[in-house]
Amino acid sequence: MKYDGSFADKIIANRRRERGPIDSKRNVKTADEGGCGVTGFACSIPVAGRHIFEPSIRMHNRGNGKGGGIAAVGINPDRLGVSQDELDSHYMLHVALLEPSCLPGLKETCFDPYFDVAKEELLEHVRDYRDIEGLEIRPPEVWRAFVRVKPAALEKFIKETGLRGIDPRQAEDEFVSRNTFRLNKQLYSSLGEKQAFVLSHGRNVMILKIVGYAEHVVQYYQLEDLQAHVWIAHQRYPTRGRVWHPGGAHPFTGLNEALVHNGDFANYYATSDYLRQRGMEPLFMTDTEVSVMLFDLWNRVYGYPLEVIIEAFAPTTELDFDLLPPEKQRLYDSIQTTHVHASPDGPWFFIIARNIPETQTYQLIGITDTAMLRPQVFSLYDGDVQIGLVCSEKQAIDATLRSLADEDPRFSPVADKYWNARGGSFDDGGAFMFSVQPLENGGRELVCQNKFGEFVSVSSRKPLDITKAVRKPEQQARDIDSALEDALERGDAGRVFQYFRTHTSWWDYNTLRWAVGRMGRMASKSAQALPHVLDALTLLIDRRIPLGDKKNSALVRIVTNQLYEILRTMPRITGGALLHHYALIDADTRHHLRPPIAMETTLIVDARYFSPEGDDCDASLLSDAHKMGWKKFIVFDLRGQRFQGCGFGPKTDDIRIDLYGSSGDYVASGIDGMEIHIHGNAQDQIGQIMKKGTLVIHGDVGQCFLYGAKGGTTFVLGNAAGRPLINAAGRPKAVINGTALDFLAESFMAGDPLAGGGFVIVNGLTRDEDGTIIFLDRPYPGSNLFSLASGGALYIRDPDKKVVNEQLNGGEFRELSDADWNLIRPCLLENEGHFGIKVEDLLSVDGVKRTPREVYRKIEAVPLAVLRKIPETDDSVWATEKARAAL
Amino acid sequence: MRYRNIWSEVPPRKVIATPSRFRRGIGKYTVVVSDACNHCLKCVVVCPESVFRARGSKLEPPQDHLCLGIECSKKSNRCMANCPVSAIRVGVNPSVKALGDRRWTADLLMSTWRMAETGSLPKNDLEYRIGGSQGGFDRLRFAFPKRLPKPDLDKNDIDTSITLNRRNDACERIDIPIPVYGGGMSFGSISQVTMLSRIRAYAAWGSFCCTGEGGYPEILYPFDDHIITQVATGLFGVREETIQRVKIVEFKYAQGAKPGLGGHLLGDKVTPAVARIRETVPGSSLFSPFPFHSVYSVEDHKKHIDWIKTVNKRGLVSVKVSTPSDVDMVAVGSYYAGAHIVHLDGSYGGTGAAPDVAKKNIAMPIEYAIPKVHKFLVDEGIRDEICLIASGGARTAYDVAKAIALGADGVVTGTSDLVALECVRCHNCESGRGCARGIATTDAELVGLMDLEWGTRRIINMLWCWRDQLREILYRLGMRSIRELVGRTDVLAHLDYNSNVQDDDVREAIY
Repeated sequence: MKYDGSFADKIIANRRRERGPIDSKRNVKTADEGGCGVTGFACSIPVAGRHIFEPSIRMHNRGNGKGGGIAAVGINPDRLGVSQDELDSHYMLHVALLEPSCLPGLKETCFDPYFDVAKEELLEHVRDYRDIEGLEIRPPEVWRAFVRVKPAALEKFIKETGLRGIDPRQAEDEFVSRNTFRLNKQLYSSLGEKQAFVLSHGRNVMILKIVGYAEHVVQYYQLEDLQAHVWIAHQRYPTRGRVWHPGGAHPFTGLNEALVHNGDFANYYATSDYLRQRGMEPLFMTDTEVSVMLFDLWNRVYGYPLEVIIEAFAPTTELDFDLLPPEKQRLYDSIQTTHVHASPDGPWFFIIARNIPETQTYQLIGITDTAMLRPQVFSLYDGDVQIGLVCSEKQAIDATLRSLADEDPRFSPVADKYWNARGGSFDDGGAFMFSVQPLENGGRELVCQNKFGEFVSVSSRKPLDITKAVRKPEQQARDIDSALEDALERGDAGRVFQYFRTHTSWWDYNTLRWAVGRMGRMASKSAQALPHVLDALTLLIDRRIPLGDKKNSALVRIVTNQLYEILRTMPRITGGALLHHYALIDADTRHHLRPPIAMETTLIVDARYFSPEGDDCDASLLSDAHKMGWKKFIVFDLRGQRFQGCGFGPKTDDIRIDLYGSSGDYVASGIDGMEIHIHGNAQDQIGQIMKKGTLVIHGDVGQCFLYGAKGGTTFVLGNAAGRPLINAAGRPKAVINGTALDFLAESFMAGDPLAGGGFVIVNGLTRDEDGTIIFLDRPYPGSNLFSLASGGALYIRDPDKKVVNEQLNGGEFRELSDADWNLIRPCLLENEGHFGIKVEDLLSVDGVKRTPREVYRKIEAVPLAVLRKIPETDDSVWATEKARAAL
Repeated sequence: MRYRNIWSEVPPRKVIATPSRFRRGIGKYTVVVSDACNHCLKCVVVCPESVFRARGSKLEPPQDHLCLGIECSKKSNRCMANCPVSAIRVGVNPSVKALGDRRWTADLLMSTWRMAETGSLPKNDLEYRIGGSQGGFDRLRFAFPKRLPKPDLDKNDIDTSITLNRRNDACERIDIPIPVYGGGMSFGSISQVTMLSRIRAYAAWGSFCCTGEGGYPEILYPFDDHIITQVATGLFGVREETIQRVKIVEFKYAQGAKPGLGGHLLGDKVTPAVARIRETVPGSSLFSPFPFHSVYSVEDHKKHIDWIKTVNKRGLVSVKVSTPSDVDMVAVGSYYAGAHIVHLDGSYGGTGAAPDVAKKNIAMPIEYAIPKVHKFLVDEGIRDEICLIASGGARTAYDVAKAIALGADGVVTGTSDLVALECVRCHNCESGRGCARGIATTDAELVGLMDLEWGTRRIINMLWCWRDQLREILYRLGMRSIRELVGRTDVLAHLDYNSNVQDDDVREAIY
């Protein structure tokens, strides 16, 4: 593309000359920060700033209110006071004035001589920051200006730097970037009072940040109605408590991009050094600044394509590297050789929003590190509008979609697709980008691609228009009514489900909505039918059925709405003893919690307004209710609340909890006997130290699933992210019907499964939108399996022998014995009961039934010599190395 | 039938003489009585320390660990001069050379044994304050003012208690009468008798002792209110129940002796009893990973603490970290995440099980880490809301006082408790189950080497002597409370910069 060695050489030489000798003492981070909450979305239509609000609030607990920031790309010019042309061509400067009086001087020295200003203003804001609840520190005044470099100044710059002959725009970009560096150095990072710094200077890119939470930015600068195609937000968690200005907050900018980051570099020093050698100098001393400088260097100076930049950030290694095509291997090898000392080491996850002016494309990019140490979820919805989202937690995605759908019926609160990236991998590359591209008709479309440019899409089906009124479908109404009534009379939710399964694909949305609505009606009429209606609706949410031209996201939306509606009409706990099996409690009535009376068996918790943790969280309410004698719980409309099932104490065999909505982290941690069903995807750290009981997850599960678990039986319909079952000991049993990203069963210590130990079954399958089972090409794609395990076993469905020895760092293949099959068969049967995945389907390969031995493979821990031998010297680290070498 | 079950009883807090469980204690001096002895028993009369004892008319083998030394024996009114047949020889015990190491010198081991036996300081010239490492606490001295303090100060009124919960929240308010609690040593790494001895001793003192990462054996249940349960990276034996039983929950992120390294317990050591408590499978090697896999960053850490608080609403949360160069940031992060106690574990600690390459080579020395964190917390304005505890090589009461003067609120001990139980620092803790002294073992036979009541008393006695020493130090500094000492680096002198400091010995005031 635009790579031209001489351009890069000249820029770097110039920068180094201007910077002078390296002062390496400055390679010191001033603030440690681990993780944070990051969220972002890109949309085919411009979306108002208030929609970044809700996900930001949902991720409060990932920040501490000491730094929040947002960025917008592809802004609607109407509210900016400039034309679309000016917005596209001019650099959009945002300068934070920590000392507002410095503005005239700043303009005089840094701008007036070099820039033509099309428009300038001080950003409007709420008059008194204390009017915003929770905002404790006054955000800076922000000066915004739309500028171009004066032709004479640019000419002089080109002459001085020897950049003649290159695209003047590139020179202008460099001039703007250099000017910002000078300003920041002079007014921010030099000793003395910090006066001002540049927030952003790209084209059609806006960054604003404050000391506070991200949503306060929107409130303070009154961005609720400002529209843009791409928004990102960041909740910061700096460990230092006293922060008076937002210089260290995210996002940071290169030129036309804004980057937010969750994580922490171990090699900050090395990467800073790498940058210094190339004439760049970090001024804000945080990992994030360094990250965006790397991006800018590779992108603008070296002109690397995005794929190469991603490879430089997150190198492809191990088996993944071997599986790349040879020409990719050669390319990646040279990238790694050249840039590996700058690639960030440690946990990180980037979200980048950028404008590519040449193609008028606005882009949202999510990149995860090779080891996948930070949580990340991607999602895509494709209807009348298209939206792509990247977040630290799925619940933040749901919050964004809900916020959008509440206002604009073209959006859906449920996305079509949710997935995790597999860092540094051969299949998706660990990165996805959503590009909002111009269409010929003047509109825009959103496309999603992975690192390699392969498109990610969802099947194009008819979107649901929720605003349409539901009419009675004259032709089918009678048939539906009689079928549902018959099934409910028999008390058979499975029959209801079967009816929908066989009929839905012929129906239109109206009929489907009417049929679901009928079930609500029947539930409200008959207390007997109620539990079966709940069961049937749950089945419709959990499983997939043939839908014809309709979307599964629409079905889930319709059924979930109906379910919540039914649950919200249940008798309230404040209402005294009714002859009913259910009692409803919500955040407002939680103080009225009382023991179950009369017929009551099930406590229904409307989780909506509960706080995500602490004394007022719904999880505390559940354990208190348990102490009062409640045994069955239905918790619905969860919005990221955590810890359900925790705090109940030992021996809870007769408890059952059903969770609906966006459940949060740590669900089912430490449970001892109870049964928990998560209807939908689960988040991170689920089932930590689980002791006993049953956990059923009707979806995917996040990072570090079953960490340190000692027992219990777990069923996962979808995939597990990184590090499932790490450090699990004792006798846990888990069935994962999908696959895991990597590091499955690391340090597994579950003894001999045939003698009461634990095991994992991986089926390596996925479902299409109509619920048809598709077996993955590779049942387990990760490079690490069973690393350093000392016990337990893995049973993997792998008829084509795709799992290879290189993946096993501490395991070995064993023939599946009859005893093994007798051990796992009951688990698979139970799995069938939960998810409808038939054992016979698992055993058939391309339609032919095979024996278990042909389909399943067993992997056991290999007794490592290093672990059997007691090191002869005290120096066990060396001894381990030696023993390993001897192996 | 009525019976006493000392296994579930908190013993009284008093000094009861508890001599060595072996026939002859090891002393700095050796006293040899030759065959020439005529059993005149004159030596029994003249020895002030009852080194010589008679049984009937016969002289027993001398208790030479009580001997005050060669100087004493040569005095005209003492044993050598008074032996009519010159049968007595007093010399330096040759095994002193083989005993101990630079950090735990033979003197320090023997003086600690003495404290554990009698509850007071040794009367002879054994060094009881510092070791021979030429660094760390060993280069620090207390610079006592020359003039003795206010006459109205009664030593017995000096307060050595500290508060563990300094946040104004709904959790338990806990004060402990001594600025010391017991560090984590897991069941499996030490025997049940050792574990219970420590816990009973700290319970007698109204303080706490940590379970380590090996689970919560049922035998500890009577002492719930004095136990800190540890949630470490391996999560072995951690159950909701164990978290709910206690008043303090400790997160162990790292150990100062081996930061960045996880432990492993070899299959051999995973006996059925150990496996049951840890909820694992006997014979299956156990690993603790080096990080918490659910905590890769500080917001995960907050989530982790929130989880514990959901399980145990009233319990305090302690966060044990090693001392990397950015330990101050870690401490502040822990505070904002909701921790009550920040526990810094420096590099000097560690029993024999930590790899030598890690010990003393990775983490920051504790005497640097404490003031760094203390100052940072003061600058943040949150020092008064958090309890800062130091550990990692606190061997003596002087080390405790020095750590506090450097900025800690209190100190966690580990090795010194084992030394009180007559550990000889042979560094064989990790090799199988064969602790020669029956301390760090799960072997049924070796465990029988030690008696619970004996072990408990030894540690109570040592702590008694420590408390007395702390009071004496505070008395000489004119302070009424140990809380006044926190961060008072001005009362310390570093020998590298100030070599003419007076001796800070308080021996004469204590015995």
